[in-house]
Amino acid sequence: MPNRLHTQNGGGESNSSSARSLALPAVLQSGGAVAYLFLLPSLVFLAVFTLWPIVSVLWGSLHARRGRSQIFVGMDNFDRIFSDPFSQQVILNTVGYVTLSLLMSVFGGLMLAILMNQGLKNIGYFRFPFLATIAMPMVSVASIWLFMYSPRVGLLNDILGGLGIPRSNWLSDPDLALPGLFVVYLWKQLGYFALFYLAALQSLPDDVLEAATLDGVTFWQKLRHIIWPLVSPTTYFVSTIGVLNSLQQVDHVFVLTQGGPNNATGLALYYVYEQGFKWFKTGIASAMTVVLLAVLLTMAILQFVYLERRVHYE
Amino acid sequence: MTPQRMTWQKTLPIVALGFFGLVWMVPLFWTLAAAFVPTTELLNGGPLVWLQNLHFGAFEQAWSVAPFARFYLNTIIWVFGLLAIQLVTISLAGFALARLDFRGKDQIFFLFLTQLMVPATVLILPNYQTLVALGWLDSYQGMMAPYIASAFGTFLMRQAFKQVPRELEEAARSDGANWLQVLWHVFLPVTRAPLLAFSIVSVTYHWNEFLWPLLITSSVEVRPLTVGLALLVQSSEIGAQWDQLSAGTLIVAVPILILIALVQKQFTNSFLSSGIK
Repeated sequence: MPNRLHTQNGGGESNSSSARSLALPAVLQSGGAVAYLFLLPSLVFLAVFTLWPIVSVLWGSLHARRGRSQIFVGMDNFDRIFSDPFSQQVILNTVGYVTLSLLMSVFGGLMLAILMNQGLKNIGYFRFPFLATIAMPMVSVASIWLFMYSPRVGLLNDILGGLGIPRSNWLSDPDLALPGLFVVYLWKQLGYFALFYLAALQSLPDDVLEAATLDGVTFWQKLRHIIWPLVSPTTYFVSTIGVLNSLQQVDHVFVLTQGGPNNATGLALYYVYEQGFKWFKTGIASAMTVVLLAVLLTMAILQFVYLERRVHYE
Repeated sequence: MTPQRMTWQKTLPIVALGFFGLVWMVPLFWTLAAAFVPTTELLNGGPLVWLQNLHFGAFEQAWSVAPFARFYLNTIIWVFGLLAIQLVTISLAGFALARLDFRGKDQIFFLFLTQLMVPATVLILPNYQTLVALGWLDSYQGMMAPYIASAFGTFLMRQAFKQVPRELEEAARSDGANWLQVLWHVFLPVTRAPLLAFSIVSVTYHWNEFLWPLLITSSVEVRPLTVGLALLVQSSEIGAQWDQLSAGTLIVAVPILILIALVQKQFTNSFLSSGIK
Protein backbone atom coordinates (compact mmCIF):
# COMPACT_ATOMS: atom_id res chain seq x y z
CA MET A 1 0.00 0.00 0.00
CA PRO A 2 2.62 2.62 0.92
CA ASN A 3 4.64 1.54 -2.12
CA ARG A 4 1.82 2.14 -4.50
CA LEU A 5 1.29 5.61 -3.14
CA HIS A 6 5.00 6.30 -3.41
CA THR A 7 5.19 5.60 -7.10
CA GLN A 8 2.04 7.52 -7.76
CA ASN A 9 3.19 10.73 -6.13
CA GLY A 10 6.93 10.46 -6.64
CA GLY A 11 7.93 14.13 -6.97
CA GLY A 12 4.67 16.01 -6.78
CA GLU A 13 4.38 16.49 -3.04
CA SER A 14 3.92 20.22 -2.91
CA ASN A 15 1.64 20.27 -5.94
CA SER A 16 -0.86 17.79 -4.63
CA SER A 17 -0.89 19.28 -1.17
CA SER A 18 -1.58 22.79 -2.35
CA ALA A 19 -4.73 21.47 -3.93
CA ARG A 20 -6.08 20.42 -0.53
CA SER A 21 -8.05 22.47 1.90
CA LEU A 22 -5.49 22.41 4.72
CA ALA A 23 -2.47 23.54 2.71
CA LEU A 24 0.74 24.73 4.37
CA PRO A 25 3.56 26.69 2.69
CA ALA A 26 6.20 24.40 1.19
CA VAL A 27 8.77 25.58 3.77
CA LEU A 28 6.70 23.96 6.48
CA GLN A 29 6.73 20.55 4.88
CA SER A 30 9.80 19.55 6.89
CA GLY A 31 9.28 18.34 10.44
CA GLY A 32 11.28 20.91 12.41
CA ALA A 33 9.57 24.13 11.39
CA VAL A 34 6.15 22.51 11.60
CA ALA A 35 6.87 21.30 15.13
CA TYR A 36 7.63 24.80 16.36
CA LEU A 37 4.56 26.14 14.62
CA PHE A 38 2.36 23.45 16.21
CA LEU A 39 3.84 24.12 19.64
CA LEU A 40 3.67 27.89 19.38
CA PRO A 41 0.14 28.47 20.77
CA SER A 42 0.78 26.28 23.80
CA LEU A 43 4.24 27.69 24.40
CA VAL A 44 3.02 31.29 24.33
CA PHE A 45 0.39 30.60 26.99
CA LEU A 46 2.73 28.41 29.02
CA ALA A 47 5.27 31.22 29.05
CA VAL A 48 2.81 33.94 30.02
CA PHE A 49 0.59 32.03 32.48
CA THR A 50 2.89 29.40 33.99
CA LEU A 51 6.53 30.46 33.69
CA TRP A 52 6.24 34.22 33.99
CA PRO A 53 4.04 34.02 37.12
CA ILE A 54 6.65 31.86 38.84
CA VAL A 55 9.34 34.43 38.10
CA SER A 56 7.05 37.29 39.03
CA VAL A 57 6.02 35.77 42.34
CA LEU A 58 9.64 35.03 43.27
CA TRP A 59 10.48 38.68 42.59
CA GLY A 60 7.37 39.87 44.43
CA SER A 61 8.19 37.82 47.51
CA LEU A 62 11.43 39.78 47.93
CA HIS A 63 9.74 43.17 47.62
CA ALA A 64 7.20 45.22 49.55
CA ARG A 65 4.90 47.99 48.44
CA ARG A 66 5.76 51.44 49.74
CA GLY A 67 3.28 53.91 48.35
CA ARG A 68 3.39 53.35 44.64
CA SER A 69 6.77 51.69 44.33
CA GLN A 70 8.14 48.30 45.23
CA ILE A 71 11.15 48.20 47.54
CA PHE A 72 13.57 45.32 47.89
CA VAL A 73 13.20 43.87 51.39
CA GLY A 74 15.16 40.61 51.13
CA MET A 75 13.66 37.79 53.18
CA ASP A 76 11.48 40.09 55.32
CA ASN A 77 8.23 38.78 53.90
CA PHE A 78 9.21 35.21 54.71
CA ASP A 79 10.30 36.23 58.21
CA ARG A 80 6.89 37.82 58.69
CA ILE A 81 5.05 34.73 57.51
CA PHE A 82 6.90 32.41 59.84
CA SER A 83 6.95 34.70 62.89
CA ASP A 84 3.54 36.39 62.79
CA PRO A 85 1.03 34.44 64.98
CA PHE A 86 -1.76 34.90 62.42
CA SER A 87 0.15 33.34 59.54
CA GLN A 88 1.67 30.72 61.83
CA GLN A 89 -1.90 29.72 62.61
CA VAL A 90 -2.63 29.56 58.87
CA ILE A 91 0.36 27.29 58.30
CA LEU A 92 -0.70 25.04 61.19
CA ASN A 93 -4.28 24.89 59.89
CA THR A 94 -3.01 23.97 56.45
CA VAL A 95 -0.66 21.27 57.72
CA GLY A 96 -3.49 19.78 59.79
CA TYR A 97 -5.93 19.93 56.92
CA VAL A 98 -3.50 18.38 54.46
CA THR A 99 -2.54 15.61 56.91
CA LEU A 100 -6.16 14.73 57.56
CA SER A 101 -6.81 14.73 53.86
CA LEU A 102 -3.82 12.45 53.23
CA LEU A 103 -5.13 9.92 55.76
CA MET A 104 -8.63 10.19 54.38
CA SER A 105 -7.59 9.75 50.78
CA VAL A 106 -5.52 6.65 51.52
CA PHE A 107 -7.48 4.80 54.23
CA GLY A 108 -10.96 6.07 53.43
CA GLY A 109 -10.36 5.69 49.70
CA LEU A 110 -9.10 2.13 50.06
CA MET A 111 -11.91 1.03 52.35
CA LEU A 112 -14.56 2.50 50.07
CA ALA A 113 -12.91 0.90 47.05
CA ILE A 114 -12.93 -2.52 48.76
CA LEU A 115 -16.63 -2.07 49.45
CA MET A 116 -17.23 -0.97 45.86
CA ASN A 117 -15.28 -3.89 44.44
CA GLN A 118 -18.18 -6.35 44.43
CA GLY A 119 -18.72 -8.34 41.28
CA LEU A 120 -22.31 -7.19 41.18
CA LYS A 121 -24.12 -6.50 37.92
CA ASN A 122 -25.87 -3.30 38.96
CA ILE A 123 -23.00 -2.01 41.07
CA GLY A 124 -23.30 1.30 39.19
CA TYR A 125 -26.29 2.31 41.30
CA PHE A 126 -24.27 1.74 44.44
CA ARG A 127 -21.37 3.83 43.17
CA PHE A 128 -23.47 6.75 41.98
CA PRO A 129 -23.66 8.63 45.33
CA PHE A 130 -19.88 8.80 45.53
CA LEU A 131 -19.41 9.80 41.90
CA ALA A 132 -22.14 12.42 42.03
CA THR A 133 -20.41 14.44 44.73
CA ILE A 134 -17.10 14.46 42.81
CA ALA A 135 -18.75 16.06 39.83
CA MET A 136 -20.65 18.76 41.72
CA PRO A 137 -19.11 22.22 42.10
CA MET A 138 -17.50 22.79 45.50
CA VAL A 139 -19.65 25.92 45.81
CA SER A 140 -22.84 23.82 45.61
CA VAL A 141 -21.43 21.24 47.99
CA ALA A 142 -20.47 23.97 50.44
CA SER A 143 -23.90 25.59 50.32
CA ILE A 144 -25.52 22.20 50.94
CA TRP A 145 -23.36 21.88 54.04
CA LEU A 146 -23.98 25.45 55.11
CA PHE A 147 -27.54 24.29 55.38
CA MET A 148 -26.63 20.98 57.06
CA TYR A 149 -24.53 22.78 59.66
CA SER A 150 -27.01 25.56 60.33
CA PRO A 151 -27.81 25.57 64.07
CA ARG A 152 -31.53 26.14 63.53
CA VAL A 153 -32.57 24.17 60.46
CA GLY A 154 -29.49 21.99 59.99
CA LEU A 155 -30.02 18.27 59.91
CA LEU A 156 -26.64 17.44 61.40
CA ASN A 157 -27.49 18.52 64.92
CA ASP A 158 -30.72 16.54 64.79
CA ILE A 159 -28.90 13.39 63.69
CA LEU A 160 -26.12 13.79 66.25
CA GLY A 161 -28.72 14.66 68.90
CA GLY A 162 -30.41 11.37 68.15
CA LEU A 163 -27.10 9.63 68.81
CA GLY A 164 -26.74 11.46 72.12
CA ILE A 165 -24.07 13.92 70.96
CA PRO A 166 -24.68 17.49 72.15
CA ARG A 167 -25.76 20.13 69.63
CA SER A 168 -23.12 22.58 68.52
CA ASN A 169 -22.81 25.56 66.29
CA TRP A 170 -20.34 23.88 63.97
CA LEU A 171 -19.01 26.70 61.87
CA SER A 172 -18.82 29.29 64.68
CA ASP A 173 -16.92 27.07 67.08
CA PRO A 174 -13.14 27.58 66.65
CA ASP A 175 -12.51 23.93 67.57
CA LEU A 176 -15.10 22.49 65.20
CA ALA A 177 -14.90 24.82 62.21
CA LEU A 178 -11.82 23.30 60.54
CA PRO A 179 -12.97 19.69 61.06
CA GLY A 180 -16.32 20.92 59.74
CA LEU A 181 -14.68 22.16 56.54
CA PHE A 182 -12.82 18.89 56.30
CA VAL A 183 -16.06 16.89 56.44
CA VAL A 184 -17.32 18.90 53.48
CA TYR A 185 -14.17 18.08 51.52
CA LEU A 186 -14.39 14.42 52.57
CA TRP A 187 -17.98 14.16 51.42
CA LYS A 188 -17.09 15.60 48.04
CA GLN A 189 -13.78 13.87 47.33
CA LEU A 190 -13.76 10.45 48.99
CA GLY A 191 -15.19 8.80 45.88
CA TYR A 192 -12.45 10.35 43.74
CA PHE A 193 -9.70 8.63 45.70
CA ALA A 194 -11.68 5.39 45.89
CA LEU A 195 -11.80 5.33 42.08
CA PHE A 196 -8.03 4.93 41.84
CA TYR A 197 -7.98 2.13 44.40
CA LEU A 198 -10.93 0.49 42.68
CA ALA A 199 -9.02 0.46 39.39
CA ALA A 200 -6.01 -1.02 41.19
CA LEU A 201 -8.08 -3.72 42.90
CA GLN A 202 -9.74 -4.65 39.63
CA SER A 203 -6.40 -5.07 37.93
CA LEU A 204 -5.27 -7.62 40.55
CA PRO A 205 -5.56 -11.24 39.40
CA ASP A 206 -8.71 -12.88 40.84
CA ASP A 207 -6.93 -15.90 42.29
CA VAL A 208 -4.75 -13.74 44.54
CA LEU A 209 -7.75 -12.39 46.41
CA GLU A 210 -9.63 -15.67 46.28
CA ALA A 211 -6.77 -17.76 47.61
CA ALA A 212 -6.71 -15.48 50.61
CA THR A 213 -10.35 -16.10 51.50
CA LEU A 214 -9.84 -19.86 51.68
CA ASP A 215 -7.80 -20.60 54.76
CA GLY A 216 -9.89 -18.80 57.32
CA VAL A 217 -7.84 -15.64 56.99
CA THR A 218 -9.55 -12.68 58.65
CA PHE A 219 -10.40 -9.56 56.68
CA TRP A 220 -7.75 -7.53 58.50
CA GLN A 221 -5.02 -10.06 57.80
CA LYS A 222 -5.97 -10.10 54.16
CA LEU A 223 -5.99 -6.31 54.05
CA ARG A 224 -2.69 -5.95 55.86
CA HIS A 225 -0.67 -8.70 54.18
CA ILE A 226 -2.15 -9.06 50.73
CA ILE A 227 -4.12 -6.05 49.55
CA TRP A 228 -2.02 -3.30 51.13
CA PRO A 229 1.34 -4.40 49.62
CA LEU A 230 -0.24 -5.05 46.23
CA VAL A 231 -1.81 -1.60 45.94
CA SER A 232 1.23 0.27 47.26
CA PRO A 233 1.97 2.07 43.95
CA THR A 234 -1.61 3.37 44.02
CA THR A 235 -1.19 4.41 47.63
CA TYR A 236 1.82 6.44 46.67
CA PHE A 237 -0.04 8.04 43.82
CA VAL A 238 -3.22 8.69 45.80
CA SER A 239 -1.31 10.32 48.66
CA THR A 240 0.44 12.63 46.20
CA ILE A 241 -2.77 13.81 44.55
CA GLY A 242 -4.43 13.86 47.99
CA VAL A 243 -1.93 16.45 49.15
CA LEU A 244 -2.02 18.44 45.91
CA ASN A 245 -5.81 18.42 45.95
CA SER A 246 -6.25 19.54 49.53
CA LEU A 247 -3.69 22.35 49.20
CA GLN A 248 -5.86 23.87 46.47
CA GLN A 249 -9.16 23.71 48.34
CA VAL A 250 -10.47 27.15 49.08
CA ASP A 251 -13.99 27.48 47.68
CA HIS A 252 -15.65 26.06 50.80
CA VAL A 253 -13.75 28.56 52.97
CA PHE A 254 -15.33 31.37 50.94
CA VAL A 255 -18.86 30.02 51.24
CA LEU A 256 -18.78 28.67 54.79
CA THR A 257 -16.39 30.57 57.06
CA GLN A 258 -14.26 33.22 55.30
CA GLY A 259 -11.35 32.01 57.39
CA GLY A 260 -13.15 32.49 60.70
CA PRO A 261 -13.98 32.14 63.51
CA ASN A 262 -10.80 33.67 64.85
CA ASN A 263 -8.72 32.48 61.88
CA ALA A 264 -9.57 28.86 62.74
CA THR A 265 -10.19 28.01 59.09
CA GLY A 266 -7.58 30.22 57.45
CA LEU A 267 -5.85 27.99 54.88
CA ALA A 268 -2.73 28.94 52.91
CA LEU A 269 -4.45 29.68 49.62
CA TYR A 270 -7.19 31.68 51.34
CA TYR A 271 -4.44 33.64 53.07
CA VAL A 272 -2.91 34.43 49.67
CA TYR A 273 -6.29 35.75 48.57
CA GLU A 274 -6.82 37.84 51.71
CA GLN A 275 -3.36 39.37 51.76
CA GLY A 276 -3.14 39.91 48.01
CA PHE A 277 -6.67 40.91 47.07
CA LYS A 278 -8.18 42.32 50.25
CA TRP A 279 -5.27 44.06 51.95
CA PHE A 280 -3.09 44.49 48.82
CA LYS A 281 -0.01 43.17 50.62
CA THR A 282 1.36 41.63 47.47
CA GLY A 283 4.75 40.93 49.03
CA ILE A 284 3.29 38.79 51.79
CA ALA A 285 0.88 37.08 49.39
CA SER A 286 3.76 36.36 46.99
CA ALA A 287 5.87 34.93 49.80
CA MET A 288 3.10 32.54 50.81
CA THR A 289 2.69 31.56 47.15
CA VAL A 290 6.42 30.80 47.01
CA VAL A 291 6.06 28.59 50.10
CA LEU A 292 3.23 26.73 48.36
CA LEU A 293 5.35 26.39 45.22
CA ALA A 294 8.21 24.98 47.28
CA VAL A 295 5.90 22.33 48.74
CA LEU A 296 4.57 21.44 45.29
CA LEU A 297 8.09 21.21 43.88
CA THR A 298 9.18 18.93 46.72
CA MET A 299 6.21 16.69 46.04
CA ALA A 300 7.10 16.54 42.35
CA ILE A 301 10.72 15.63 43.13
CA LEU A 302 9.64 12.92 45.59
CA GLN A 303 7.32 11.49 42.96
CA PHE A 304 10.09 11.56 40.38
CA VAL A 305 12.55 9.82 42.73
CA TYR A 306 9.96 7.20 43.58
CA LEU A 307 9.22 6.48 39.92
CA GLU A 308 12.96 6.24 39.14
CA ARG A 309 13.41 3.75 41.95
CA ARG A 310 10.51 1.65 40.83
CA VAL A 311 11.81 1.51 37.30
CA HIS A 312 15.18 0.55 38.74
CA TYR A 313 13.95 -2.36 40.77
CA GLU A 314 11.49 -3.82 38.31
CA MET B 1 -16.80 -23.25 54.68
CA THR B 2 -20.54 -23.77 54.41
CA PRO B 3 -22.50 -22.31 51.51
CA GLN B 4 -24.46 -20.23 54.01
CA ARG B 5 -21.33 -18.51 55.21
CA MET B 6 -20.42 -17.80 51.60
CA THR B 7 -23.66 -15.91 51.02
CA TRP B 8 -23.30 -14.03 54.25
CA GLN B 9 -19.83 -12.95 53.21
CA LYS B 10 -21.10 -11.84 49.85
CA THR B 11 -24.18 -9.96 51.04
CA LEU B 12 -22.72 -8.06 53.97
CA PRO B 13 -20.41 -5.79 51.91
CA ILE B 14 -23.23 -5.03 49.49
CA VAL B 15 -25.61 -4.13 52.30
CA ALA B 16 -22.87 -2.03 53.87
CA LEU B 17 -22.19 -0.26 50.59
CA GLY B 18 -25.90 0.37 50.04
CA PHE B 19 -26.35 1.76 53.53
CA PHE B 20 -23.24 3.90 53.22
CA GLY B 21 -24.45 5.19 49.86
CA LEU B 22 -27.81 6.17 51.33
CA VAL B 23 -26.14 7.98 54.23
CA TRP B 24 -23.93 9.73 51.67
CA MET B 25 -27.03 11.00 49.87
CA VAL B 26 -28.70 12.43 52.99
CA PRO B 27 -27.40 16.00 52.50
CA LEU B 28 -28.65 15.92 48.91
CA PHE B 29 -32.09 14.63 49.93
CA TRP B 30 -32.31 17.26 52.66
CA THR B 31 -31.46 19.99 50.17
CA LEU B 32 -34.04 18.62 47.77
CA ALA B 33 -36.69 18.66 50.48
CA ALA B 34 -35.70 22.15 51.58
CA ALA B 35 -36.05 23.51 48.04
CA PHE B 36 -39.62 22.28 47.62
CA VAL B 37 -40.97 22.71 51.14
CA PRO B 38 -41.35 26.03 52.99
CA THR B 39 -38.81 26.22 55.81
CA THR B 40 -41.38 26.25 58.63
CA GLU B 41 -43.02 23.02 57.39
CA LEU B 42 -39.61 21.49 56.86
CA LEU B 43 -38.80 21.94 60.54
CA ASN B 44 -42.14 21.06 62.06
CA GLY B 45 -43.63 18.39 59.84
CA GLY B 46 -42.58 14.98 58.65
CA PRO B 47 -42.43 13.76 55.03
CA LEU B 48 -46.24 13.57 54.89
CA VAL B 49 -46.64 17.24 55.75
CA TRP B 50 -43.90 18.04 53.24
CA LEU B 51 -45.71 16.27 50.42
CA GLN B 52 -48.85 18.30 51.14
CA ASN B 53 -46.92 21.58 51.03
CA LEU B 54 -44.78 21.14 47.91
CA HIS B 55 -44.16 24.41 46.11
CA PHE B 56 -41.91 25.82 43.43
CA GLY B 57 -41.81 29.33 44.83
CA ALA B 58 -38.22 29.03 45.97
CA PHE B 59 -37.05 28.36 42.43
CA GLU B 60 -38.91 31.36 41.06
CA GLN B 61 -37.48 33.43 43.88
CA ALA B 62 -33.90 32.22 43.35
CA TRP B 63 -34.26 32.71 39.61
CA SER B 64 -35.44 36.31 40.13
CA VAL B 65 -32.89 37.23 42.80
CA ALA B 66 -29.96 36.10 40.68
CA PRO B 67 -29.94 36.12 36.85
CA PHE B 68 -29.29 32.38 36.58
CA ALA B 69 -30.17 32.21 32.89
CA ARG B 70 -27.39 34.68 32.15
CA PHE B 71 -24.98 32.86 34.49
CA TYR B 72 -25.75 29.60 32.68
CA LEU B 73 -25.01 31.21 29.35
CA ASN B 74 -21.74 32.66 30.69
CA THR B 75 -20.63 29.31 32.06
CA ILE B 76 -21.44 27.56 28.79
CA ILE B 77 -19.55 30.18 26.77
CA TRP B 78 -16.42 30.13 28.87
CA VAL B 79 -16.30 26.39 29.52
CA PHE B 80 -17.04 25.21 25.98
CA GLY B 81 -15.17 28.09 24.36
CA LEU B 82 -12.13 27.09 26.37
CA LEU B 83 -12.59 23.43 25.47
CA ALA B 84 -12.71 24.26 21.76
CA ILE B 85 -9.44 26.19 22.01
CA GLN B 86 -7.81 23.51 24.15
CA LEU B 87 -8.69 20.74 21.71
CA VAL B 88 -6.74 22.64 19.06
CA THR B 89 -3.72 23.48 21.24
CA ILE B 90 -3.36 20.01 22.78
CA SER B 91 -3.75 18.21 19.45
CA LEU B 92 -1.11 20.37 17.76
CA ALA B 93 1.35 20.25 20.67
CA GLY B 94 0.73 16.58 21.42
CA PHE B 95 1.34 15.73 17.77
CA ALA B 96 4.58 17.69 17.61
CA LEU B 97 5.89 15.99 20.75
CA ALA B 98 4.81 12.53 19.63
CA ARG B 99 5.63 12.46 15.95
CA LEU B 100 7.96 15.25 14.87
CA ASP B 101 11.71 15.61 15.28
CA PHE B 102 13.09 18.97 16.24
CA ARG B 103 15.80 20.56 18.36
CA GLY B 104 15.03 21.37 21.98
CA LYS B 105 12.36 18.69 22.32
CA ASP B 106 13.49 17.68 25.82
CA GLN B 107 13.54 21.26 27.04
CA ILE B 108 10.07 21.94 25.66
CA PHE B 109 8.82 18.71 27.22
CA PHE B 110 10.14 19.95 30.56
CA LEU B 111 8.30 23.27 30.16
CA PHE B 112 5.02 21.39 29.88
CA LEU B 113 5.99 19.31 32.88
CA THR B 114 6.30 22.51 34.95
CA GLN B 115 2.62 23.16 34.46
CA LEU B 116 1.74 19.73 35.85
CA MET B 117 3.72 20.54 38.99
CA VAL B 118 2.36 24.06 39.44
CA PRO B 119 -1.44 24.20 39.18
CA ALA B 120 -2.90 27.51 38.04
CA THR B 121 -4.92 27.83 41.27
CA VAL B 122 -1.73 28.60 43.16
CA LEU B 123 -0.73 31.34 40.72
CA ILE B 124 -3.85 33.52 41.11
CA LEU B 125 -1.93 36.58 42.27
CA PRO B 126 0.65 36.93 39.46
CA ASN B 127 -1.88 35.81 36.84
CA TYR B 128 -4.28 38.48 38.03
CA GLN B 129 -1.53 41.07 37.60
CA THR B 130 -0.91 39.77 34.08
CA LEU B 131 -4.60 40.14 33.23
CA VAL B 132 -4.53 43.72 34.50
CA ALA B 133 -1.57 44.44 32.24
CA LEU B 134 -3.32 42.86 29.25
CA GLY B 135 -6.62 44.60 30.03
CA TRP B 136 -8.35 41.22 30.17
CA LEU B 137 -10.12 41.61 33.52
CA ASP B 138 -13.84 40.82 33.49
CA SER B 139 -13.68 38.97 30.18
CA TYR B 140 -14.14 35.44 28.88
CA GLN B 141 -10.63 35.34 27.45
CA GLY B 142 -9.29 36.37 30.86
CA MET B 143 -11.01 33.41 32.50
CA MET B 144 -9.70 31.05 29.82
CA ALA B 145 -6.13 32.33 29.48
CA PRO B 146 -4.34 30.31 32.21
CA TYR B 147 -5.84 27.07 30.85
CA ILE B 148 -5.36 27.48 27.11
CA ALA B 149 -2.07 25.57 27.24
CA SER B 150 -2.84 22.27 28.94
CA ALA B 151 0.05 20.02 29.90
CA PHE B 152 -2.36 17.28 30.95
CA GLY B 153 -4.15 17.36 27.60
CA THR B 154 -0.92 17.64 25.63
CA PHE B 155 0.58 14.59 27.35
CA LEU B 156 -2.66 12.65 26.97
CA MET B 157 -2.69 13.32 23.22
CA ARG B 158 1.03 12.66 22.90
CA GLN B 159 0.50 9.20 24.42
CA ALA B 160 -2.44 8.52 22.11
CA PHE B 161 -0.64 9.71 18.96
CA LYS B 162 2.38 7.57 19.76
CA GLN B 163 0.24 4.48 19.43
CA VAL B 164 -0.93 5.27 15.90
CA PRO B 165 0.89 2.92 13.48
CA ARG B 166 3.70 4.49 11.43
CA GLU B 167 2.35 2.96 8.22
CA LEU B 168 -0.82 5.06 8.34
CA GLU B 169 1.20 8.24 8.67
CA GLU B 170 3.68 7.27 5.97
CA ALA B 171 0.93 6.36 3.57
CA ALA B 172 -0.66 9.76 3.94
CA ARG B 173 2.68 11.56 3.79
CA SER B 174 3.75 9.88 0.58
CA ASP B 175 0.30 10.68 -0.74
CA GLY B 176 1.42 14.29 -0.54
CA ALA B 177 -0.41 15.30 2.60
CA ASN B 178 1.24 17.92 4.80
CA TRP B 179 1.50 17.48 8.58
CA LEU B 180 -1.68 19.37 9.35
CA GLN B 181 -3.58 17.15 6.94
CA VAL B 182 -1.99 14.05 8.42
CA LEU B 183 -3.04 15.17 11.88
CA TRP B 184 -6.57 15.99 10.77
CA HIS B 185 -7.29 13.05 8.45
CA VAL B 186 -5.20 10.28 9.99
CA PHE B 187 -4.54 10.93 13.68
CA LEU B 188 -7.60 12.71 15.06
CA PRO B 189 -10.17 10.22 13.72
CA VAL B 190 -8.50 7.35 15.61
CA THR B 191 -7.95 9.26 18.87
CA ARG B 192 -11.53 10.23 19.67
CA ALA B 193 -11.48 8.36 22.98
CA PRO B 194 -8.69 10.41 24.61
CA LEU B 195 -10.19 13.60 23.15
CA LEU B 196 -13.49 12.71 24.81
CA ALA B 197 -11.78 11.83 28.07
CA PHE B 198 -10.00 15.17 28.07
CA SER B 199 -13.25 16.98 27.25
CA ILE B 200 -15.11 15.42 30.19
CA VAL B 201 -12.34 16.33 32.62
CA SER B 202 -11.96 19.86 31.27
CA VAL B 203 -15.68 20.62 31.23
CA THR B 204 -16.32 19.27 34.75
CA TYR B 205 -13.29 21.04 36.17
CA HIS B 206 -14.02 24.46 34.71
CA TRP B 207 -17.81 24.24 35.08
CA ASN B 208 -17.13 23.92 38.82
CA GLU B 209 -14.37 26.48 39.03
CA PHE B 210 -14.93 29.34 41.46
CA LEU B 211 -11.94 31.27 42.80
CA TRP B 212 -10.38 32.44 39.54
CA PRO B 213 -13.67 33.62 37.96
CA LEU B 214 -14.62 35.27 41.27
CA LEU B 215 -11.40 37.27 41.32
CA ILE B 216 -11.36 38.46 37.75
CA THR B 217 -15.03 39.01 36.91
CA SER B 218 -17.24 41.83 38.12
CA SER B 219 -20.18 42.06 35.73
CA VAL B 220 -23.30 39.93 35.31
CA GLU B 221 -22.47 39.54 31.60
CA VAL B 222 -19.35 37.49 32.34
CA ARG B 223 -19.79 35.90 35.77
CA PRO B 224 -20.29 32.14 35.74
CA LEU B 225 -22.83 30.06 37.67
CA THR B 226 -20.58 29.20 40.59
CA VAL B 227 -19.90 32.85 41.37
CA GLY B 228 -23.59 33.66 40.97
CA LEU B 229 -24.52 30.90 43.38
CA ALA B 230 -21.98 32.05 45.97
CA LEU B 231 -23.49 35.55 45.86
CA LEU B 232 -27.01 34.15 46.20
CA VAL B 233 -25.88 32.01 49.14
CA GLN B 234 -24.51 35.08 50.89
CA SER B 235 -27.74 37.00 50.49
CA SER B 236 -30.01 34.08 51.45
CA GLU B 237 -27.90 33.22 54.47
CA ILE B 238 -28.39 36.71 55.86
CA GLY B 239 -32.16 36.42 55.48
CA ALA B 240 -32.13 32.75 56.51
CA GLN B 241 -33.99 31.95 53.28
CA TRP B 242 -33.04 28.31 53.22
CA ASP B 243 -35.54 27.31 50.57
CA GLN B 244 -34.07 29.89 48.21
CA LEU B 245 -30.52 28.80 48.99
CA SER B 246 -31.42 25.15 48.37
CA ALA B 247 -33.19 25.95 45.13
CA GLY B 248 -30.16 27.90 43.90
CA THR B 249 -27.88 25.03 44.83
CA LEU B 250 -30.01 22.58 42.87
CA ILE B 251 -30.24 24.87 39.85
CA VAL B 252 -26.45 24.70 39.62
CA ALA B 253 -25.90 21.06 40.60
CA VAL B 254 -28.73 19.12 38.97
CA PRO B 255 -27.57 19.34 35.32
CA ILE B 256 -24.21 17.87 36.37
CA LEU B 257 -25.89 15.12 38.38
CA ILE B 258 -28.00 14.16 35.36
CA LEU B 259 -24.93 14.17 33.13
CA ILE B 260 -23.06 11.88 35.53
CA ALA B 261 -25.98 9.48 35.75
CA LEU B 262 -26.01 9.26 31.94
CA VAL B 263 -22.29 8.83 31.29
CA GLN B 264 -21.13 7.27 34.54
CA LYS B 265 -18.73 4.86 32.89
CA GLN B 266 -16.97 7.37 30.63
CA PHE B 267 -16.86 9.80 33.50
CA THR B 268 -15.13 7.27 35.74
CA ASN B 269 -12.59 6.37 33.08
CA SER B 270 -11.84 9.98 32.22
CA PHE B 271 -11.21 10.86 35.82
CA LEU B 272 -8.89 7.90 36.19
CA SER B 273 -6.92 9.11 33.19
CA SER B 274 -6.77 12.59 34.72
CA GLY B 275 -4.74 11.08 37.51
CA ILE B 276 -2.27 9.38 35.21
CA LYS B 277 0.08 12.21 34.52
